[in-house]
Amino acid sequence: MEKRVNDVGGLPGMTIRQETHPATLHQKRVDALYALLTSPPVSAFRVDSIRRTIESNTPEDYRNFGYYDKWIRAVHKVLIEQQILTAEEIEARMQEIRKRPVVVETAACANP
Amino acid sequence: MSAPDQHSHDHHDHDHDHDHAHPHAPIEDVDDPQRYEYVLETAIRELLIEKGVLTAAAIHRQIDLQDSRTPAMGAKVVARAWTDPAFKARLIAEPLETIIDEFKLEIVTPLKLVVLENTPDVHNVVVCTLCSCYPRMLLGIPPAWYKSIDYRSRVVVEPRKVLEEFGTVLSPEIEVRVSDSTADLRYLVLPNRPAGTEGFSEEQLAALVTRDAMIGTALV
Amino acid sequence: MNTASNATHAVLATGTAVRVKNSPPEIHCRTPYYLRGVPGQVDTLVGRFRDPSLLAFNKPGLPMRYLYRVRFKQKDIWPDYAGSPADTLVADIFEHWLDVLKEPAHERA
Repeated sequence: MEKRVNDVGGLPGMTIRQETHPATLHQKRVDALYALLTSPPVSAFRVDSIRRTIESNTPEDYRNFGYYDKWIRAVHKVLIEQQILTAEEIEARMQEIRKRPVVVETAACANP
Repeated sequence: MSAPDQHSHDHHDHDHDHDHAHPHAPIEDVDDPQRYEYVLETAIRELLIEKGVLTAAAIHRQIDLQDSRTPAMGAKVVARAWTDPAFKARLIAEPLETIIDEFKLEIVTPLKLVVLENTPDVHNVVVCTLCSCYPRMLLGIPPAWYKSIDYRSRVVVEPRKVLEEFGTVLSPEIEVRVSDSTADLRYLVLPNRPAGTEGFSEEQLAALVTRDAMIGTALV
Repeated sequence: MNTASNATHAVLATGTAVRVKNSPPEIHCRTPYYLRGVPGQVDTLVGRFRDPSLLAFNKPGLPMRYLYRVRFKQKDIWPDYAGSPADTLVADIFEHWLDVLKEPAHERA
């Protein structure tokens, strides 16, 4: 392959959408997880591994998955690769979470 | 890379015309606790806490730290550089060390920071075409457009057109210099000080400096 | 696997004429496709860093490599560049992705 999927410099593109929104709690959590896992004292893995994992997406997935979705999916894969967590225990926990009653949390949640 | 069972993205269900990028926006503006990625993050966080890899307190502290980082920090640096030539010289020579010294900024993992000084002849603009490297310690979270494939693709090949979309028009005599942070450097643009600001205090100057001016898509 | 080169140059001075190698990318590659084969000039030496293409696989990333800011004329990168002839682009390129074309002229003592 002559060009990796993330290597987009010079490709045709569309008008840049400039609207922004404040970071959601989920997004802040993804940022926080990534920062803590890649920094001392934890240093579970390097950012280079995360980038490499994001770059292993198909071109379609790379374009269609949002930024934070790509990141948390990459953290997922690298945690398994590094044998810090297993795919099975993550999947089991996800099933259990889906059975819980839905509570909508916000960053400004009054009740801790 | 297999599609998970309860994948709430619907983009696999309709055809894409690949001549058009992103047929619809990624669904990321509002949290949806039923989305796969939301549940995934919750599961990972809970398991890492239970296993002692992280603590809930450390996560809260990190979120608070992230929240505290806004472009106001970068604006302070710019305003100081505009008013204090000795600081500016030190800033350009040793950016991160000078900022940490002067403003007592807390940096966990020191990265290589480079300050790009605009001049009357050179206008700098920053991108990371390969991912989304950004000086978060000075500017906070990058705006979605900075991370977008459209910005990353286009600003290296048609920077002036991109700048015009941001309302910034530069004469052809000025060199537009794009910096692509390809290798773990972080860049901060030091914008030109606008005319008519002689005698402004540092606070007044800092209030003029926008995040986009420190990326290079805007002028002050 | 480092497909670009295992050779390391002596430190390149500002102004050295270089060309980005036309090598196939590593699996994790920090040299953009649009710069392959493009001639430029060394702007500054940033420092020595571990090789990201190896760090990406949890290898130590040694030997450490010199990283340079290399400046290119936009018209040398894009055949149909529509901006100003003065416009440039600077990217951070590792030494093992650069061929030296010409040392800068020595300054008058």
